[in-house]
Amino acid sequence: MNNIKRLATAITAATLLVACSSTPPINAGLEQARNDYRSAQSNPQVTSLAAGELKQAGDSLELANTASNRGDRVATVDHLAYVAKQQVAIAQATANQKAAELAVTNSAAERDKVRLDARTREADSATRSAEAATLNAQVSQRSAEAARDQAMLEKQAAANALQSADVARQQALDAENRSRQLEAMLLDMQAKKTPRGMVITLGDVLFDTNQANLKAGGMRSVQKLAEFFKQYPGRKVMIEGFTDSVGNDANNQTLSEARAASVRSALIDMGVGVDRIATRGYGENSPVASNDNAQGRQLNRRVEIVLSDDNGNILPR
Amino acid sequence: MKHFKHLATIGVTSLLLLLAACASTPPPTDSIALAKSAIANATSAGGNEFAAVEMRSAQEKMDMANRAMTKQDYDQAKTYAVEAQADARLAEKKAQSAKAEKAAAATQEDIRVLREEINRKSPK
Repeated sequence: MNNIKRLATAITAATLLVACSSTPPINAGLEQARNDYRSAQSNPQVTSLAAGELKQAGDSLELANTASNRGDRVATVDHLAYVAKQQVAIAQATANQKAAELAVTNSAAERDKVRLDARTREADSATRSAEAATLNAQVSQRSAEAARDQAMLEKQAAANALQSADVARQQALDAENRSRQLEAMLLDMQAKKTPRGMVITLGDVLFDTNQANLKAGGMRSVQKLAEFFKQYPGRKVMIEGFTDSVGNDANNQTLSEARAASVRSALIDMGVGVDRIATRGYGENSPVASNDNAQGRQLNRRVEIVLSDDNGNILPR
Repeated sequence: MKHFKHLATIGVTSLLLLLAACASTPPPTDSIALAKSAIANATSAGGNEFAAVEMRSAQEKMDMANRAMTKQDYDQAKTYAVEAQADARLAEKKAQSAKAEKAAAATQEDIRVLREEINRKSPK
């Protein structure tokens, strides 16, 4: 029984204590609103971009605090706390919106700059392409000019080659003609090929008997020889006189020299240069046939005219 | 004595009138009008799409405010109207914020695409 009394006393005391405490009962909605407000206050984006809205929220929160401290009805405090909480949210949303709008503005500026850069780069690239094209065109033109020059050179070279070929052919033709002419003349003069060169023999019958004088036939042979000299200015002659072995050597030597000299003076009379003619007498030396019969002795009485090569050289006997 | 009776009657009447005035708040027409206009603004800002929860709350509180008005419970009507206005304004701001964020993201994407295109085009 005493126990129950004591418990009742304790409960009463506790109730009294609770009732006496001056702190208002804790309101969950108000706590929430306070927390939200604090967090908004510490957010620089909200304080800078939604200062007005945050102020409004603060005023509302103050009303709720006042009502709570005054011990207003829970419903009233709840209501005021709710409005304050929503206004904090409004301040936050406003700050978000403004930040996003700023981002749009900045991004738009950035985008425009990027576009401008791109266009500038395109323009630069186009300019570079145009320059490259111009350069290419110049190079092509220069190549074309070079090719044209080359073609002209080649054409010229071809023409030259053709001309050279013509000249060469002409020269070959001329040389052939000359050699044919020479051959014809040598044939006409009854020249014979020997190791010393072409040799023309004037026989005994072309001279007066035992004399150095040329007969008319001898003169004709000498005439041909003079013609030959005119045609071949590079040629010279060695005129060599020979006799048979009849009579004394001194006479034979004199006659061989006189006959050679006779041919020489006839050639000089016909206009052949003195320096182109040499003479020698060999007497009865170097017979070409036997001196034992008349026919052989006639062959041995002769004048041999040795023709030089084109450069005037004659091999010595 | 009669005089005193009259005076007493007037006094009691005044007291009653005063009591009545204190007990019943006047009809919160301003708060109702503000809440309606806030809901209209939030709707046209796209609140139904971007802040459905707040919009529904605002709408329900508006209905309750109207019901309280017809019951002439002006205290309740004002409370609901004020909360409806706060909800509607929050819905409006949330919608505007979401749209602005979308626009910001779109512009960033524009820039990204543009950059990519430029990088593809530009010679190495």
